[in-house]
Amino acid sequence: MTVLKDTQQLLDKLKNAYKKNDLATGKTVLGQIKIKLIQLPAVPPNSDFSSPTAQQELLLARDVYEHAVLLALKSQSEAALESSFTQLKTFYADTRSVLPAAPQQWMFAGLNLLRLLVANRIAEFHTELELIPAEGMTVPHVASAVQLEQWLMEGAYNKVLAAGKSLPPECSFAVEQLSATVRDEIASCAEASYPSLKLADAQVLMMLASRKETEEYAKQHGWAIEGDVVHFNKAAAADATAEQHMRLINHALLYAKELERIV
Amino acid sequence: MAAAAVMPSSAAGLLTLLDDENDELKHYALVHLNKVVHEFWFQIASYIGSVEALYEDDEFKDRELAALIASKVFYHLGELDSALTYALGAGTHFNVDEQSEYVQTLIARCLDQYFELRVRQVEGKEAVDIDPRLVAVVERMLDRCCAHGQFEQAVGVALEGRRLDRLQALVAAAPDQPALLGYALRVCQRLVVNKDFRQQVLRLLIRLYEECEQPDYVVICQCLMFLDDAPEVAKILNKLLSSGREDDVLLAYQIAFDLVDNELQSFIIKVQEQLPKLPEPPAAEPPAAAAPAAAADGAADAADAMDTDAAAPAAAAADANGGPAPAAAAAVPEMAPEMVEKLSKLRDILSGKTPIGLNLEFLYHNNKADLQILKNIKGAVDARVSVAHSATILANALMHTGTSIDTFLRENLEWLSRATNWAKFSATAGLGVIHRGQLQQGKALMAPYLPRDGHTGSPYSEGGALYALGLITANHGAGTQPFLTESLRASGNPIIQHGACLGLGLAALGTNDEEVFEDLKNVLYTDDAVAGEAAGIAMGLLCCGSGSDKAQEMLAYAHDTQHEKIIRGLAMGLALISYGIEEAADTLVEQMAREQDPILRYGAMYVIGLAYRGTGNNAAVQKLLHYAVSDVADDVRRAAVLCLGFVLMGAPEQCPKIVALLAESFNPHVRYGAAMAVGLACAGTGLREAVSLLEAMLGDGTDFVRQGACIALALVLAQQPEAVVEPFRKRLTKSITDKHEEVMARMGSIMAAGILDAGGRNASVALRSGSGYFRRTSVVGLAVFTGYWYWYPLSYFLSLSLAPTAVIGLDSQLRAPKLELVCNARPSLFAYPPPVTTETSKEVAKVEKAVLSTTAKARERQKKKDAEKQKEEAAGKAAGMDVDEPAKPPAAAADATAAAAAAGDSSSGPKEGDGAAAAGGAAGDDKAADAAGKDKEKEKEPASFTVTAPCRVVPHQVKHMALPAGSRWVPVKRGAPLSGILVLRDLTPGEPVEYASSGTTGGPAAPGAAAAAGAGAAGQQQQQQEPEAAPPAPFEFAP
Repeated sequence: MTVLKDTQQLLDKLKNAYKKNDLATGKTVLGQIKIKLIQLPAVPPNSDFSSPTAQQELLLARDVYEHAVLLALKSQSEAALESSFTQLKTFYADTRSVLPAAPQQWMFAGLNLLRLLVANRIAEFHTELELIPAEGMTVPHVASAVQLEQWLMEGAYNKVLAAGKSLPPECSFAVEQLSATVRDEIASCAEASYPSLKLADAQVLMMLASRKETEEYAKQHGWAIEGDVVHFNKAAAADATAEQHMRLINHALLYAKELERIV
Repeated sequence: MAAAAVMPSSAAGLLTLLDDENDELKHYALVHLNKVVHEFWFQIASYIGSVEALYEDDEFKDRELAALIASKVFYHLGELDSALTYALGAGTHFNVDEQSEYVQTLIARCLDQYFELRVRQVEGKEAVDIDPRLVAVVERMLDRCCAHGQFEQAVGVALEGRRLDRLQALVAAAPDQPALLGYALRVCQRLVVNKDFRQQVLRLLIRLYEECEQPDYVVICQCLMFLDDAPEVAKILNKLLSSGREDDVLLAYQIAFDLVDNELQSFIIKVQEQLPKLPEPPAAEPPAAAAPAAAADGAADAADAMDTDAAAPAAAAADANGGPAPAAAAAVPEMAPEMVEKLSKLRDILSGKTPIGLNLEFLYHNNKADLQILKNIKGAVDARVSVAHSATILANALMHTGTSIDTFLRENLEWLSRATNWAKFSATAGLGVIHRGQLQQGKALMAPYLPRDGHTGSPYSEGGALYALGLITANHGAGTQPFLTESLRASGNPIIQHGACLGLGLAALGTNDEEVFEDLKNVLYTDDAVAGEAAGIAMGLLCCGSGSDKAQEMLAYAHDTQHEKIIRGLAMGLALISYGIEEAADTLVEQMAREQDPILRYGAMYVIGLAYRGTGNNAAVQKLLHYAVSDVADDVRRAAVLCLGFVLMGAPEQCPKIVALLAESFNPHVRYGAAMAVGLACAGTGLREAVSLLEAMLGDGTDFVRQGACIALALVLAQQPEAVVEPFRKRLTKSITDKHEEVMARMGSIMAAGILDAGGRNASVALRSGSGYFRRTSVVGLAVFTGYWYWYPLSYFLSLSLAPTAVIGLDSQLRAPKLELVCNARPSLFAYPPPVTTETSKEVAKVEKAVLSTTAKARERQKKKDAEKQKEEAAGKAAGMDVDEPAKPPAAAADATAAAAAAGDSSSGPKEGDGAAAAGGAAGDDKAADAAGKDKEKEKEPASFTVTAPCRVVPHQVKHMALPAGSRWVPVKRGAPLSGILVLRDLTPGEPVEYASSGTTGGPAAPGAAAAAGAGAAGQQQQQQEPEAAPPAPFEFAP
């Protein structure tokens, strides 16, 4: 039972650290708790729900995983976010049969959606979305994430940026990344639509603050700047089509040869 | 922990732990991942980098566990090589004893890799480093097999891994050594592809066999034969003979029979040389001496030639009979007379005299060939169509292979005379097929046709006769070789040279005789297309299987000459030289396959086919398949597909599958090749897949494909139960009688009819000897036979591959006692097919009634004419017919008329009567059996029946055969199948023995038995076999 007690104490410490925004302490405490958790028989994947304290252990573990996510959100660390969300999700799934649904489950789901959205991982976003039942859709976190995704797909980027400011407090991490994502989207659209663009227009289009930032951004994407005109690189695309043609020709020749050989 | 069985929904949570800094967490994650890896490998796969990193981290204590997980993931991903690498890295975590699919697969992979490396190390002589961990796993496997008593698997592993040391240890540890050794031997013969290693294994096996308490000399001698170790075999035979125990002597006889059965002439000759020499001169000389003597006589006095021929062998043979024992005894007083007797018996077996004599006897007495079938064919084909006509003669020859029965030819002399030029050559050669095995009298039989000084006959019949002589003495030609050489040197006519070359090649098959080779080369260098072709083939026959460097000489000449025929002959010759040498032929194949000339590429295919005959070698199959689809020349493609049949002879059941696609090719040549490949590979098996494949091809749109399908199907269905064959027979009849059928297809049907009833329905294509190894003569015969595509006379080579399917029991005196055998199967299953019913023959007769009645008269006239002719000849030149009657004193010329007339009528008369009676009897039985089978259901048909050896036992029947309980006779060879020639031990010696009498021919029974005993009773044999030995009446073809 000492393990349980220790864990409880460590969890309290973790909560304190989170409240105080003490990320470093939070991280060390979290590491310690995880080691304790694997010693608890009821926590998956040990999954021995027969012990008398199973409920208590599981609740405790859930608390830990939820706080791990919150902590990761605060620290803005991509890797930590990834792993903490994965762990939490697996935990929810594994304990669904023995624990009542967590009150904050859908909030975390919404946060996860938002995280995927701002990272422009649309495919995974939709996979996750499919897993959320109707009741979960009404939770503001989920609803706003879904709304944002729709705008993004429509190309209503101004709406996206405007909405970014009115997100729930836990979502603040996403705001800045969201604008970066939107800018990349615009850039890729512009690249496909125009052969070249005036620098000033590009700056407005991509909502960049200064000409210098624009030039910087152009350099990142490998666009050529001549005077005050940005040339999107079309040569590469042309190459690609030539290559495609060659491939097609090769295939055709190969088929012809194989046909000859058919006995 | 029962509840722990709750399956987590995902491994994602655990996987995140892998990136944690804490080792304890990582360990925990790995342990749990290992439990769920088979369910969540796809999730782990995305994190495989982390797992691999853990394994590569030398500091990490659970790196082996990480390796195991990585291995399992790679296994699921199908990357077995990576999986294996990691499994080896997992050390003891990788549990060899686990029964999971994962472990089984990886172990198989592991063994494969080990084998590959070992093969490269041992055979490629490469410096290959074998991972010691790999070796450890293999060793663990072997130990486990031993512990579980799975010795056969272990032997397989040891052989594949080229581990002779383990093989030896395994045999030592096995509880049932002989069985395991037998298994190892079988595996070694069938599956070890590399020749060098196979020989090493054989050496080891021989040693192990000899260490057994009761060495199995039969097997040891077989092994020694493959190692070409004649002295050792001779030593064993000698030891057995002189041990004094009756059983050992019998065993020696049996070994000799088995050795002869494998038909390796050169080896047998070496064994004979190595046997104690003392009684040899008188035993071996006379026949050889007699032949030149006769030839000399013939040269001296043409008019008396026939007489002399008839008399000389008889006298010489009498000498030989009486001669050896006393002469030897006189020469070697220290050798006991009984020992001399045994030795001379052994020599007779080895020289082929006894077994061939027994087979002749059997084929003659049990001939069930249905003349009505031939008559029907003859009635249906137009004699002016030479192709069909020749094919009919071939069908007759095949049906009567080795039976010495030439009734059909005698009855149809006029019809026969339509064969002109090369058809005449072939027809004469056909006589050789009919008289196949008449070693002593071969020359006498063919005498009327053989070239003689001062007599200018048709070169076609003379050449054909020389060829026939070769066919008669194929593989046992020591006696006729000098005569053939003489004829070859003497003649300048390319047609005669053609026949002489073929004959010489056959007689000296595989002997590598330098002198003969020089003679053949001289013929080749005359650069005559006809003679050169035969010389090329003959060179191949002569050096068959030697892989000698003469091949390069021949190839060089093939480049020089302009004649396609010569190139083709040489190409076939090169293939024959490469027979069975496997890898050693690879350079030659490379060389020939790159030639510009399609004929040489065609030869290259045959080289592959024969070099890898029956090995099923993958590389060879692939090469052939490649050429079958990519070469530009139809001939090459056809040959490539056809040769697949040779390569796959060892595993007939695979052949239909492999060529199934090719059989549907758009190219008729490929289709023909596919049909023949199936026919060759599945000959005599009656395999269902083969039959259905070929049956579909019988309706092919191209005539020569139908031809191939007919021939192939006949090869496959020969001696199958009549219920299976009957539809095919009907189809053949239809095709033959159908006037609108194209001539090529009809030719195929006629040949097929001959093949189906080969050797009087008592022989079939036997690619393997009784001990399961390939008979070289058979395979070579088939290979040359396929050359009939270009050159019809080559079709007679098929007779080489026919072997009687008999069971013949012999006692210690090498006489055949009546041996009762039980066959545990319904009688109708293995009965001879019923003769063609009178109804069908009437049907045919109805159509041609007018013709028949006139032919009857014509025959009368012909007979008279014949008699007159004979009279003339007998009186004038004292030719031919007297050979028939050596027993009669060469009496007055007046007698000769009567004798000739008698020969014309009566010599065929009783035979026919016999045949009819026998056939009638068989028919009665069959009908009864049939009726039982159909009308009264199966209850009436007994589940087993008794036969009396010598009798026909078809290959499928062998497994049903058993000795009756309390049989007096027991085969001396332990556990041998009841087929072929069996030497028997008499359990109650002293009691009177009832011998299978051969009195049907009217000869006295005792000499008959003595002849069967084959103790050199050539003279008696001649007397006894007098009627069937009779050469056909000297019908001269009127060209």
